[in-house]
Amino acid sequence: MSLLKVSGLVSYIGLFTILHGIDMEIQPGEAVAILGRNGAGKTTFLRTVMGLVKTRSGTIEYKGQSLVGKPPHKVSKMGIGYCPEDYGVFNELSIEENLILAKHKNDAATAERIAYVLDLFPDLKKAFKRPARTLSGGQRQMLSVGRSLVNSPPLILIDEPSKGLAPVVIEKMSLALKEIARNSTILLVEQNFHMALIVTDRYYIIDEGKTVHNGLMKDLENDKELQHKHLGL
Amino acid sequence: MILQRLDTIRKIEVVIIVALAIVLLIVPHVAGTATVTMVSRIMIFAVFAMSYDILRGYVGVIHLGYALFIGGGAYFVGILFTQFGVGIPMLLLAVVGTSVYSAIWALIVGKISGKSGMIATAMITMAFAEIMRSLMTSWFTVTRGADGLPFRVPPPFNDRTMMFYASFIFMVIMAFLLYKFTKSPTGRVWQAVRENEQRAIFLGYNTNRARTIALLVASVVGGLSGVMFGLLNRFVNTDLLDMQMTINAMLYSLIGGTGTLFGAILGSALVVYFQNLLLDLRGVHFIFERWLLFIGALYIVVVMFMPRGIMGFYYDWKDKRAQKKRLLQEAKLPPQLNDEA
Repeated sequence: MSLLKVSGLVSYIGLFTILHGIDMEIQPGEAVAILGRNGAGKTTFLRTVMGLVKTRSGTIEYKGQSLVGKPPHKVSKMGIGYCPEDYGVFNELSIEENLILAKHKNDAATAERIAYVLDLFPDLKKAFKRPARTLSGGQRQMLSVGRSLVNSPPLILIDEPSKGLAPVVIEKMSLALKEIARNSTILLVEQNFHMALIVTDRYYIIDEGKTVHNGLMKDLENDKELQHKHLGL
Repeated sequence: MILQRLDTIRKIEVVIIVALAIVLLIVPHVAGTATVTMVSRIMIFAVFAMSYDILRGYVGVIHLGYALFIGGGAYFVGILFTQFGVGIPMLLLAVVGTSVYSAIWALIVGKISGKSGMIATAMITMAFAEIMRSLMTSWFTVTRGADGLPFRVPPPFNDRTMMFYASFIFMVIMAFLLYKFTKSPTGRVWQAVRENEQRAIFLGYNTNRARTIALLVASVVGGLSGVMFGLLNRFVNTDLLDMQMTINAMLYSLIGGTGTLFGAILGSALVVYFQNLLLDLRGVHFIFERWLLFIGALYIVVVMFMPRGIMGFYYDWKDKRAQKKRLLQEAKLPPQLNDEA
């Protein structure tokens, strides 16, 4: 059974229909990239899965259960971690408090996950007690990703983790995501093709609110024409 | 021993708090009745303002009918004492009644704030307080309407010194409990809701429930401050349900520092003292009759130069100091270690 199955998804914000037909299937353990130009509907797609954007028609199934109409906090509790593109960290809380806040359970396994996050991102360990507002953009992104790992969610949605980061930090982040992808299922929205190439194995291209192409990343890497046509590379 | 482990700033903070506590404890023995009553009022208002800060500063709810609680608590005491007799059992009944009354209002407001926006909630809560004020005015046979209801209070609260210590203990206990609440997992969710509700939802939190819990805690504490205020004043009238009381709570927490909890204590001390000082100066010059002008000026000065209030300004200064210290430490490290830091 697919971990996430989306069929004919149409979603809207106010009077505007943003997604016109998304079809996607993610298997457990996969790392999949969602690629596309600016304004193609990639972020809206993740927000629709999370229940933040309303669905007009189509289905979203997670582990065989429909997500359509579910409030976002219930979607999160069902086991979907989400890192929004603006990092989504709480500036006035410390790194420790941000991580603790993410906990759904107070058990040993969750404590181990926090230790794992700190090992994965040593920068966070050094600044553990500092308020998030004092962190750099890269550290905030690390905290955002790290926080989504605390509950060990079966599926993690990550929205443009490279946005606004220095090349050296993007490199660090790519390697960390690759490491995370070894044990989790990742759905990565990314403009940075190089990062998507490092982290994911498969891709979907969204254009004008529709999935227009999908395949293996290694094939896309060699297909310059497709890259140019849909990604403007 | 404990002091040795603290850094300089912490030591100064501990010394100031202990010194203030000692000064407060000796106030009834060295000051006149007026000062003792004023300080008691400051301590009760501090609790009222702290409870308001939980709403405004921690979950971002604008409750314009917050006077419902201080007024409600005071009316519970007044009505029970005048109708059923003065005594500790009636006081306990007033405490229970106020808690239930406050909790009911909190649940109603919680439901409304979950469905409507913050502006609608602010307006509706203002209307609730006005409805209650109108009810208390009309229920003349029991409340004596706008004339107000004087009543006797049972010992030991009929003694100004004992009332002072009761207010002190009340403030310390409530400050401790509210502080513990803000540091609890629920408190962290409140802060998350205040900062960005949607982000808190992403983490799986039912933010409406978190907001309702904050409303319950704040309203009950606000109501209990009303009980204490009734005991101190031995009088209650509809002014306590007036919008001005809500504005006072807002002002105390804004000047002291919204979202800092203890800032509300500082804010209420500063404003109430300043207000009393200006009233005393009425004989010197007629301008002091218009004391609200000066309070307004104080508010403008604080907002202009300390947008996060006095405590917020202090916390920011501490943050900057710590950051500077950290940067200096990093600069002193050899280059290879500095990379890791």
